[in-house]
Amino acid sequence: MTSNDVPGAHVFDGVRIADFAWVGVGPNATMQMAFHGAEVIRVESSNRPDTFRNGGPRPPGVNNLDASAYFAKFNRGKRSAAINLAHPRGAEVARRLIATADIVTESFAPGFMQRIGLSYEEVRKIKSDVIMCSMSMEGQTGPHAKFRGFGLTLQATAGVTGVTGWPDRSPVGTGVAYTDWVATHLGIIGILSALDHRRRTGEGQYIDLSQFEASTLVLDAGVIDAANTGRVARPLGNRDLRHAPHGVYPCADDHTGSDRWVAIAITSDDQWRRLALIVDRQDWLESDELCHAAGRLAAQEALDEGVARWTSTQTVGEVEQMLQAVGIPTHRASNVRDAHNDPQLAHRNHWWRSDHPVIGEMSYESPAWRLSDTPPPMPRRSPLLGEDSEYVYRELCGYSEQEFQQLIVDGVVE
Amino acid sequence: MSPTTPAALSPYRALDLTAEIGSLSTMVLAGLGVDVIRVEPPGGHPTRKRGPMLREDEASSLYWAQKNAGKRSVTLDLEDEADRERLRALSETADFLFESDAPGAMTARGIGYRDLIERAPRLIYVSITPFGQTGPKSTWAASDLIGHVSGGLSSLVGEPDRAPLRPSVEQAYNITALNAGSAALIALHARHLTGRGQHVDVSMQAAMANTLGNARLYYEMDGIITQRAGGARAFADRATRIIYPCADGYVAFVRIPASMKALHRWMAAEGGEPRFDADKWAGMSIAGNVLPNDDEVTELESEIESFFAARGAQSLYESGQHHGVMICPVNTMQDIVDSPQLAERGFFDEVDDPALGRLRVPGAPLKMSATPWQSRPAPTPGQDQDQVLAAATDITQGA
Repeated sequence: MTSNDVPGAHVFDGVRIADFAWVGVGPNATMQMAFHGAEVIRVESSNRPDTFRNGGPRPPGVNNLDASAYFAKFNRGKRSAAINLAHPRGAEVARRLIATADIVTESFAPGFMQRIGLSYEEVRKIKSDVIMCSMSMEGQTGPHAKFRGFGLTLQATAGVTGVTGWPDRSPVGTGVAYTDWVATHLGIIGILSALDHRRRTGEGQYIDLSQFEASTLVLDAGVIDAANTGRVARPLGNRDLRHAPHGVYPCADDHTGSDRWVAIAITSDDQWRRLALIVDRQDWLESDELCHAAGRLAAQEALDEGVARWTSTQTVGEVEQMLQAVGIPTHRASNVRDAHNDPQLAHRNHWWRSDHPVIGEMSYESPAWRLSDTPPPMPRRSPLLGEDSEYVYRELCGYSEQEFQQLIVDGVVE
Repeated sequence: MSPTTPAALSPYRALDLTAEIGSLSTMVLAGLGVDVIRVEPPGGHPTRKRGPMLREDEASSLYWAQKNAGKRSVTLDLEDEADRERLRALSETADFLFESDAPGAMTARGIGYRDLIERAPRLIYVSITPFGQTGPKSTWAASDLIGHVSGGLSSLVGEPDRAPLRPSVEQAYNITALNAGSAALIALHARHLTGRGQHVDVSMQAAMANTLGNARLYYEMDGIITQRAGGARAFADRATRIIYPCADGYVAFVRIPASMKALHRWMAAEGGEPRFDADKWAGMSIAGNVLPNDDEVTELESEIESFFAARGAQSLYESGQHHGVMICPVNTMQDIVDSPQLAERGFFDEVDDPALGRLRVPGAPLKMSATPWQSRPAPTPGQDQDQVLAAATDITQGA
């Protein structure tokens, strides 16, 4: 703890996580705990590096495993130990590390941890009150347990893709590894619940997190509706079943070089009247049908056209200003540059700067929450592959200097 | 629930005053054992009238049943000082309070964070709003759609020739609520150290800004503004197709190098004559420097298209995966209900809903070996009024 931290800022001080997870979900979950003080040891190997260590962006021309900003995004605040789990002695090192850990996380294909002797049954023999969390695509059991995937495709299995698109075209999905952002939180919530239970009872446990099952939570009533009525939700474009007009409309060129769109969501009759006044549509104001949501839903095709005709004559900033001034939910469709420069996110200090010897200085996201009394300090930068091997082998696993050197020679530390 | 297997968070209580933006957070905590008390206005919470409905009548909301599973309910009129006082007393019995009113609205009624923490210093007060408690947009009007566009995700979703898009289920609300759940439990662990509750300020815009994959990083490092690419991965200045039509719907398949040899073997095993060069495609990294030209991609995709077009989504899933190809069906809600994987894992539960009768419900979103998830029905308005308020009254009279 550094001297300028507030008391309690290291919420998970003394909690150690042996983190065998890789790619998105697991590392994102353990990073949130690292931010709040947990010691997270990424178990890595250059023989089978985290996919994101080969990802981008990276500084031009730098092609080593430490250059990926995408990896850095998910691994700030952690340490990295190089442990070659394919080596016969790799599992022995892993077992020594687990003996010092409170939590073990992994996201390999089901069966891998068993093959190297690190199933939950084995792990709890090493540390009886350990909490182990496996975060796989579809869970540890069942006919599809070993089916492969990642967030880009799993969102299709999990139902998100099928309800994302225009009604007259193919579904499109989200274009990002969407379910990663859902499953991450079930991972955190599961681990922290288990940690609280252990604190009170001394009992550890195993968490089998299926990213598929976790992601059904965000389908609103889609699954419960199909299960009890057979109805199947369909993609609606940007429309809403209860409100209209409700869409994303084109704006005039604002000379930023971006195509410009603005989202407007009329969610009450009051907002509708205010919109009609600003757009100066006497016919809308006088219509008895349009003063109720049902009438507007019936006329939404024409309303969308009318709104779009008006927004096309305004810049996105003008529309935001005029409509927000009268309390109408409105916001530009921010692209990544807008998000990066957004004044509200800047106000929250959302993008945390982090310097890195290979990547250089970049900003990365911070949690979507702010804690009034125990804000975490800025996290340590993302580790180089194996940067903390000596600390982990010598201090945590208890190998002598001579043994450590021999493990290097034998190819375990790589 | 048998008494020998308590849920993980059974010692704790939460007061739930949230609208749609927050109600999933407390639903998850209820499944993990928290005693979640829905505080509803007289006449019931507005989302009780939100579709889809089980029956024709307005009192059969499946939306309510899903988002409020496992909660209890009391009815309080927070416009009335006597009821506000009941809420303050109740907060002394609670570990968490979740609310999603506009910043300042709770304080204006004397039930803001400062008001309650004085009487209930251990209370974790979770505020869930579109933009956060302070800042230039904190007073902006918003909705789920606004969450999608303000965080930037919509710019990566949709067809290039049409507007940026949101998923037709309220992902901005749901992702925000899950963030609030994580944050609340971090604050709970903080309380173990400090002995005190605190104010947790959750922002929907920030939650959505964290879903941009590596796209914002590409802007910061290389100045690239990644654009929506239809049924494809929005990736810097190159998109990679994901969605393909098949005989009865759609499948998701990405031509990552690791899948290409397996795809070739699979197509050959199914009696096809794959023409593409598996070794060459297996050597191409999507993120790397060796890239196919547009003609090569078009040719490959049309070959894959005709193979998929002759087969159904679920059968492509089974046979493709058995050949080691990362392919997934674009499941409808019905496909999820019918999933053999979910059936084998016992995912669906049945509950007796006091208003809706016997319901088949999605079960545990995570399987905890020692403290299993509890599937319980949603409450009727004020069903726990007497029991819950009696305890709070004792506190008021004692004070």
